Amino acid sequence: MARILVVAEQRSGKLSDATLELCKAAKAIASAMGAAPAAAVFYKDDSLAKEVAKYIPEVFSVVDAKLEAYNADTYTEAVKAVVAAQDVKGVLIPHSYDGVDYAAKAALAIGAGIVSNCNKFEMQGGTLVLNRNTYNGKIQEQRSIKTDKFVVTFEKGAFDKEAAGGAGSVTAVAAAISAPRRTTKEIVAMMAGSVDISQAKIIVAGGRGTKEKDKYNDIIVNLAKKLGGEYAASRPVVDAGWTDAARQVGQSGKTVAPVLYIAAGISGAIQHVAGMKGSQCIVAINKDPEAPVFNIATYGIVGDLFEVIPAIMAELG
Amino acid sequence: MKIVVLVKEVPDMESKFKIVGDAKIDESQIAFKMNAFDEYAVEAGLQLKEKFGGEVIIISSGPERVSKEIRQAFAMGADWGIQVMDSQVDEGDNYVVSAAIKKAIDSLGGVDLVLSGVQAEDDQSAVTGVMIADLMGLPHCTNVVKIEVGGDGKTMKVNRELEGGFNEVAEIAMPALLTIQSGINQPRYPTLPGIMKAKKKRLDIKKAGEIGAAELGEAGSKTKFVKMFFPVSEHKAEILTGDAKTAAKTLVDKLKNEAKVL
Repeated sequence: MARILVVAEQRSGKLSDATLELCKAAKAIASAMGAAPAAAVFYKDDSLAKEVAKYIPEVFSVVDAKLEAYNADTYTEAVKAVVAAQDVKGVLIPHSYDGVDYAAKAALAIGAGIVSNCNKFEMQGGTLVLNRNTYNGKIQEQRSIKTDKFVVTFEKGAFDKEAAGGAGSVTAVAAAISAPRRTTKEIVAMMAGSVDISQAKIIVAGGRGTKEKDKYNDIIVNLAKKLGGEYAASRPVVDAGWTDAARQVGQSGKTVAPVLYIAAGISGAIQHVAGMKGSQCIVAINKDPEAPVFNIATYGIVGDLFEVIPAIMAELG
Repeated sequence: MKIVVLVKEVPDMESKFKIVGDAKIDESQIAFKMNAFDEYAVEAGLQLKEKFGGEVIIISSGPERVSKEIRQAFAMGADWGIQVMDSQVDEGDNYVVSAAIKKAIDSLGGVDLVLSGVQAEDDQSAVTGVMIADLMGLPHCTNVVKIEVGGDGKTMKVNRELEGGFNEVAEIAMPALLTIQSGINQPRYPTLPGIMKAKKKRLDIKKAGEIGAAELGEAGSKTKFVKMFFPVSEHKAEILTGDAKTAAKTLVDKLKNEAKVL
């Protein structure tokens, strides 16, 4: 039977949550297409393959010392080897930093079309149709894949995590893994700082809409201080140097889950939402009524943050 | 150093989007601009040229109006460019576009470095750069936030952004393709002399056939567009109405008495 194959993702030997989400996705897609869910695990030994087998019935394990850390060249060779050795119809890859680094390359290597950054699927007359965000989440599009095999990357959180409990089989797949053309020298922490915003009970975060450093300080920092919380920022604010990287919330920054998260001048791009959606109460202040941030907020104010926040400050007394 | 920077035109995301016939956005309502991530790539290319000499060549694909974004890159300091202007390319998926751009780069007869933005703001697929690298047989690195070219001019040390505030420091042989993440630099503004010079810089307009791109349109695509629509959110915030003062008063009251978080 044709397989819908999840390519597992790990860092320092620990599986990512996205891998467990894709195990769920593989089961759903396989069931809808009359295929079987499976996973491919690439690592220095078969320990991770055994771990993944708790989540999915069949695991193909490629073992090579060169697969200890992720690399686009070696992962592509390993995907190609598994697809050559087994009946694989579809390959699912997390739309993560590693995933986007090799998914398109792997698709070309196996002659498959790719639809990336998807969040949902459905069957239309026997064809797999993928939903994905475009235009900063303002519009959804649907695409299908014309080639015999397909590659799909799914955004984080598109599926729940599969629960452990099964006892799947692990099959070794032989692959000749070449020396990669890009070599990892080290992994370094870039956000060392004196503040740990992940511990804050109240966070006031400012985005591009805060316009400039002085205004960010005036509005966001002062409201945070008034509320006894911490101030934070979305990526554009950190890129512009208005505050330090240790205060960045999102996929490439910190993940936070405070009691109250106030997002001001932040549109709510998926990368930012990934870092704050676990907050208990979310307040969004944005002048664009269609900003995606209103889809995850508890309370929303459509308006100019330079008017609304001073009014909140006045109201707090 | 011969550096190619790939530039894409995208809608300003604050435009008012209207969908026509489930199939496309109403472009008459849209303000277009250069993909923000590509601006960082242009700046990265210019900084490398300033250090190592050579030229920065802009390549873009799209209708006539795209020349505005290419000329913006010229005004920043890029030397010349190629615009693939062919509806058969525009109608294709990211594979068709990648294959055409690859051919345009090939026409330069060998380059040292190809740079692109990490993704386009409109389709958010993060696919094209990696595809072009693979079609060209080049090593690549995505999400690059730092570039250091070695003294020999043949290798680079790059920082690749990872989740959660970490960077992978990697070494990569040149020629290579890098996709550039925001924050790597502060893109320069075009100067007035730069804008004047940009008007005179060479921009080659090429049809797909002229660069030998053969996989075109829907037929050459590996994926198929089905439809587009506005998302229906299962959850919507409770919008607090009124002027700023009224909304602020309601908010503070709700945070204290309803959500009980203050």
